Amino acid sequence: MDFSFSSDQLLLKNSARAFLDEHCKPTAVRLLWDDPRGESDTMWKEMAQLGWLGLSLPEVYGGSGLGMVESAILLEELGRAAYPGPYWPTVLAAAAIEAAGADAQKKRWLSAIATGDARATLALLDADLDWDPAAMTARAEKAPRGWALSGTKRFVPWAHVANVLLIPARALEGPTLFLVDPSAAGLKLSPVQGMDLSTRWVQIDMDKVPAAADAVLGTPGQAAPLLSSLVRRGAVGAAAEMLGASRRCLDMAVGYAKVREQFGQPIGSFQAIRHKCAEMLLEVENSHSAVYYAAWALDAKAEDGELAASVAKAYVGDAARKVCGEAIQVHGGIGFTWEYDLHIYFKRAKALEPMYGDADYHREQIVRRVAR
Amino acid sequence: MDLNYAPEDREFRATTRRWLETNVPKHDLKTLDERKAWHRKLYEAGYVGMLWPKEYGGWGTTPMRQAIVQDEMARVSAPPTINGLGIGFIGPTIIVHGTEAQKQRYLKKILTAEEIWCQLYSEPNAGSDLASLKTRAEDQGDHFVVNGQKIWTSSGPIADWGILLARTDSKVAKHRGISCVLLNMRQPGVEVRPLKQITGSSLFSEVFMTNARAEKSDLIGNVNQGWEIAQTTLGFERGGNSLGRVTRYTTAFNQLVKATKELKRGGRPLIEDGAVRARMGRIYADLEVQRYAALRVLSALQKGDAPGSASSITKLSYTEFEKRYYELALAILGPFGHLMVAREEFEEVDSSSGEPGTFATAFLWSRAGTIYSGSSEIQKNIIGERVLGLPKEVRADRLKA
Repeated sequence: MDFSFSSDQLLLKNSARAFLDEHCKPTAVRLLWDDPRGESDTMWKEMAQLGWLGLSLPEVYGGSGLGMVESAILLEELGRAAYPGPYWPTVLAAAAIEAAGADAQKKRWLSAIATGDARATLALLDADLDWDPAAMTARAEKAPRGWALSGTKRFVPWAHVANVLLIPARALEGPTLFLVDPSAAGLKLSPVQGMDLSTRWVQIDMDKVPAAADAVLGTPGQAAPLLSSLVRRGAVGAAAEMLGASRRCLDMAVGYAKVREQFGQPIGSFQAIRHKCAEMLLEVENSHSAVYYAAWALDAKAEDGELAASVAKAYVGDAARKVCGEAIQVHGGIGFTWEYDLHIYFKRAKALEPMYGDADYHREQIVRRVAR
Repeated sequence: MDLNYAPEDREFRATTRRWLETNVPKHDLKTLDERKAWHRKLYEAGYVGMLWPKEYGGWGTTPMRQAIVQDEMARVSAPPTINGLGIGFIGPTIIVHGTEAQKQRYLKKILTAEEIWCQLYSEPNAGSDLASLKTRAEDQGDHFVVNGQKIWTSSGPIADWGILLARTDSKVAKHRGISCVLLNMRQPGVEVRPLKQITGSSLFSEVFMTNARAEKSDLIGNVNQGWEIAQTTLGFERGGNSLGRVTRYTTAFNQLVKATKELKRGGRPLIEDGAVRARMGRIYADLEVQRYAALRVLSALQKGDAPGSASSITKLSYTEFEKRYYELALAILGPFGHLMVAREEFEEVDSSSGEPGTFATAFLWSRAGTIYSGSSEIQKNIIGERVLGLPKEVRADRLKA
């Protein structure tokens, strides 16, 4: 039993921290807010060179074959830096291709993703905003040369920069996952912007979008278990990012409380502030336990892995909201200004709250498992 | 990172489970003698004093094995051991700070519960501000004469010995005039009065000392070193047995699930009510996170890391959790949650104190955890100052000192 990181894992964490401290400073994050793509291609290539994009892909595709714990370590650091870009959607999509794809599909996409030459995303949410794959409303109908997809996908992360879209749709056989070309006829991408300017969402409207017979990922009608596992994996990754954003907010709040003086004292000497910071640390440490337990449980295929993923997303979603919100409170007025960097991390945590199932969704998943 | 139990620990768990299945008493233990006999049996099987060095009668095994035993005992709701303060922190204090003669005289009998121990720290006017304590110990050469009053003393009526903090010098700053000495509770100068708590039971007491005698040879460390000793050992109290504790919470959760299936509101079982489900999901997520955190602490202990001030985070976390937990459980159960006697719909649960009862008992007990052993506010001060490095507050007593 060892809950601490191995030396390799620590190395990954430290090198990620060093890289992001240099290349993903708040000024760099802000520069991309007005950029239509919203991400930096240079940084993407550097991340590929560091081996981050192929982190959990098999070596044969240029990956490192590492697990969810390593992904979580990286995502925590990316969250701490409020990294703007399609890292997690791409990695998650790659995991789907790796898990269910035919050889040709893997060859086409996985190496390209590992080298930074391709970006991908996964359209998990339909028009009615239900994360349960059984509730999917988009349709796939048989067409002369394959399929025709129709329907709407909402809040798809970074679809405007993706080279391939992974789109689930309901066929006669059941839920089916398709690899779709973003420039296909009948497919319309409309960016929507939330409060976190470093997170980009896209609405995808499909009207009889053609997909070839070999665009199906896995067996038609059999995608539901894969989609559920992607939601869970996505949730743990999002929780790791929220953990990172929380740590950043806590660090900033504690740092500020040590130097900001009122009534002739550093405000951190007042119990009203100090106790808030202690409660924030408690939430951050518990979030750490939740994220890494879940990541390990997924890697180890532990029997409570699915439960742990829901626990992590439900707990960390609430904890991050509290920690990042209290960080603004500790700062007072300065924390509410656009110029001060705190809101960058506050908004990153917020943007991930509804994604891959919000806390309410995961609490219901938990009850289904433990109160049968 | 690897959260699998080592094969030898899994084996140890299986052996422990078998032993408990054979040996756990089939009926409630009513008398102190019965509880002592059960304790003794556990000790002889190697399940008490597991972390104590062998030379003092302990078993010198690992924190992991101790946690496994506590976990397995919780799983079968085995009657708890006794002398918890003696084994958990008074014995270790003697091991760290005591003389060889004290170790020989006291340690083994703490482990076997031949002698029961209590802690004589808090006073009516010295709670969170423990260092302001007033109980005096006057130096009479070979012994001290002790006068004063202590409060919140667990196991007071059954205790043979107490570890006492008393003032030995009132002319120096309050932290520097306190000594730590062992006090024989079985003497005319010591009177123990049970204190009835909001649960209706009397597990605490008040202790009045009138010209009581404590031997000089029972002084721990040096005269006026008591505060320092208390600081290093109070941490022993915090954060222990977290895995067994979580298992007890899980057992209670299963009782709650059973109750929500049997109790109806508006003609439907509670468990079908969306609001109830949301609360159940929240409780369970919170509970699981306490379990993960317990494993994390255990893994650190196993590697030999001293938890230090971080044990304050653990204590704050599980005691505050416990309040949220039973508050939500009572909100779900409605008036049924108020019943102090178990019924068909839900069996007894273990409260954190080890006192069995209904959810109402556990709910009431949950109010104690955030006060004893350093209140939540004190823990937050410790976390703020010693873990986060925030500046110390300006306090009137520090200005004077």
